[in-house]
Amino acid sequence: MALLQISEPGMTTAPHQHRLAAGIDLGTTNSLIATVRSGSADTLADEKGEHLLPSIIHYAENDIVEVGESAKEKALEDPMNTLASVKRLMGRGTEDLTTLGGHLPYDFADTESSVPRIKTRAGEVSAIEASAEILRVLKARAEKTLGDDLSGVVITVPAYFDDAQREATRDAAKLANLNVYRLINEPTAAAIAYGLDQKAEGVIAVYDLGGGTFDVSILRLSKGVFEVLATGGNSALGGDDFDHAIAQWVLEQAQLENTNDQKLLRRALTTAREAKEALTGQEQVKINLGGWEGELSRTTFNQLIDSLVKKTLMACRRSLRDASLEKDQIINVVMVGGSTRVPYVREKVAEFFEKEPLVNIDPDRVVAIGAAQQADVLAGNKPDDEMLLLDVIPLSLGLEMMGGLVEKVISRNTTIPITRAQEFTTFKDGQTALSIHVLQGERETVESNRSLGKFVLRNIPPMVAGAARIKVIFQVDADGLLSVSAEEATTGTKSQIEIKPSYGLTDVEIEGMLRDSIENAKADMEIRSLREQQVEADRSMEALDAAMKQDESTLLSEEERQRLLAARESLAVVRSTSEHSEEIKAAIKAMEKAADFYVERRMNSSVREAMSGHNVDEF
Amino acid sequence: MSVDLTKNFFEVFGLPQQYEVDRDALASSFRALQAQVHPDRFVNGTDEERRIAMQSTAFLNEANDTLQNERLRARYLLELQGVEFSDETGTTNDQDFLMQQLEIRGLIEDAENATDPFEELDQLRKMIKSRKLDVENNFQTSYDQGDFIVAKQAAIKLRFCERIFGEIQAIEERLEDL
Repeated sequence: MALLQISEPGMTTAPHQHRLAAGIDLGTTNSLIATVRSGSADTLADEKGEHLLPSIIHYAENDIVEVGESAKEKALEDPMNTLASVKRLMGRGTEDLTTLGGHLPYDFADTESSVPRIKTRAGEVSAIEASAEILRVLKARAEKTLGDDLSGVVITVPAYFDDAQREATRDAAKLANLNVYRLINEPTAAAIAYGLDQKAEGVIAVYDLGGGTFDVSILRLSKGVFEVLATGGNSALGGDDFDHAIAQWVLEQAQLENTNDQKLLRRALTTAREAKEALTGQEQVKINLGGWEGELSRTTFNQLIDSLVKKTLMACRRSLRDASLEKDQIINVVMVGGSTRVPYVREKVAEFFEKEPLVNIDPDRVVAIGAAQQADVLAGNKPDDEMLLLDVIPLSLGLEMMGGLVEKVISRNTTIPITRAQEFTTFKDGQTALSIHVLQGERETVESNRSLGKFVLRNIPPMVAGAARIKVIFQVDADGLLSVSAEEATTGTKSQIEIKPSYGLTDVEIEGMLRDSIENAKADMEIRSLREQQVEADRSMEALDAAMKQDESTLLSEEERQRLLAARESLAVVRSTSEHSEEIKAAIKAMEKAADFYVERRMNSSVREAMSGHNVDEF
Repeated sequence: MSVDLTKNFFEVFGLPQQYEVDRDALASSFRALQAQVHPDRFVNGTDEERRIAMQSTAFLNEANDTLQNERLRARYLLELQGVEFSDETGTTNDQDFLMQQLEIRGLIEDAENATDPFEELDQLRKMIKSRKLDVENNFQTSYDQGDFIVAKQAAIKLRFCERIFGEIQAIEERLEDL
């Protein structure tokens, strides 16, 4: 009888070559981690047996960061320090906050960084740092379960995530100290899990409605090759919006729609979510909020979300068209994401595709499972495996042309990785530089697309207008991330940038965060430099006091003396009240500046003194 | 394992150098090659291996896109024959064809303002598809006969067709976004 293979913690069944790999579904509402063990992929549970980790972060007292269920419990009592749905902020700029709706009940900091930061007890936090907390918990869970370090992970992102949102996800992984093999699209991951499970062949549609994002992908499955034909969606539409629609309705019914009470708003959202979930199984649900009592029927709920569901179907229509397919060529529709439990969603999807969608796979776990299977292949644990993913870019990439118009260089749904070059020329005689503005999106004008970055190709030799041949090369790698380079063909002048999206963190910012997360020394450093500046301030004031005492009134008029004392007093106040080293440093500078004339006068005087009684020749 | 980047797009996939493409053969050859060279196979490989994988895959994707698309395929065939042209600026002097284009543009405007613009635009798309098929036949015949001047005219006309499809699509998307 063969013994069951059980691996000791720290030991793996295959002694060499086998690498521990995992798939992570970093969701708006919940996150999961899955891994392949003994050939089958499954999600991993925490010590309480829970697989779903609520994507909620609570910054508690004493620098404690709670993630998951325990954080979720704090959402009502401590709303300003409890972050939920941060995925909606990934890769978004400060100016996007208004378009994301008044949905986000946080206190945003005024910041010079282009990334929005939320004020919490633990300081100002970006969505990237908050996401990194979730990833850290999942990483720890996997390493504890598997008994060894992870060598790499596959993280899923909504297919419709743009370049900035993908970069932000990679940044979060970097902060959590994870080696990312690949970012893959959520519907693609679901298709892998479904395809491998059912041994399906043919064209399928994946309808993925999560907490905060919607994706639809059309894929051809053939002999282990998963070829994405088209993808579409909306990276700011999901089950959260159903909750908001219900909450809005309840607040209106209760005549509380103008309230600013954050706790009440949070409670309205929680109530709304419970009502939504209840309506999956029943026709109506009782609601209590702020003294108001009432009922929400499924019919009313359906009306509330109708326009949102219609938007998702528009995206389905568009993707079918992009794939040049008719509805009847789709053999199956796979439903993914918790929000596909809503009966109205299923009904409308069935109506649109003219077939019953498949709902027999767990919509919450399928994405993580597919990611784990891909991670296992990428880790090289299945050298003979035929499985291959061919994915596409979700949004077109282009360049700004004269007149604020966009010229597409790579259109959406192009299979990646891809390299494409486009030639441009100068429009003025003797032009020596060309500004290159990279954009992502489908619209014709620059303003309506997302700006990914700008750079300038310099040192173009002066030529007559139209003579230079400038080749701009776009390269999209297998993660869907873009880099752009430009080259003047007649002389070979080159310029290249890694496109860092305008809404991402800069390398400097990431570096800073990494340092913080490793040493956790930011506060210490600030305290140290505060102390240093306080000492410096004391020293400066003492020096001034000593000098003035020594000189009595010989070098200073009374008016000058008062001026110096006033400057000294300003520094004394800042020194004793400020907690910022920079402020004290500035105050020291200010006092020194005010005393400049005095220092000079003293120097001259001491030189004169030193020289008096001596012959010039002695010097 | 890498792809021979000096081969032309037809040779890479082992297909005959002609306008008509066996799509199934193209798809299976494309997948078989990708399965060998794709970057996913070299995640733990050396920098050089990963760079080659990236180049090879990008080349295959470019080749596949070109052979899949009628206009790009037609143009590529002519280029292989040494007939170079810019389809951005290339024009046709076929008056009938140009009149047809004008007429279609008028129809698109009407469709946009119709009660069911999607249905009308869909009808238009079908009509243009059938006209495009005529142009394709015209290309194929003249190309096969070695009449590259006529073939080039047809290739330019394919560009017109593509532009019209693009316009219809842009209108549809604009209407969908409203």
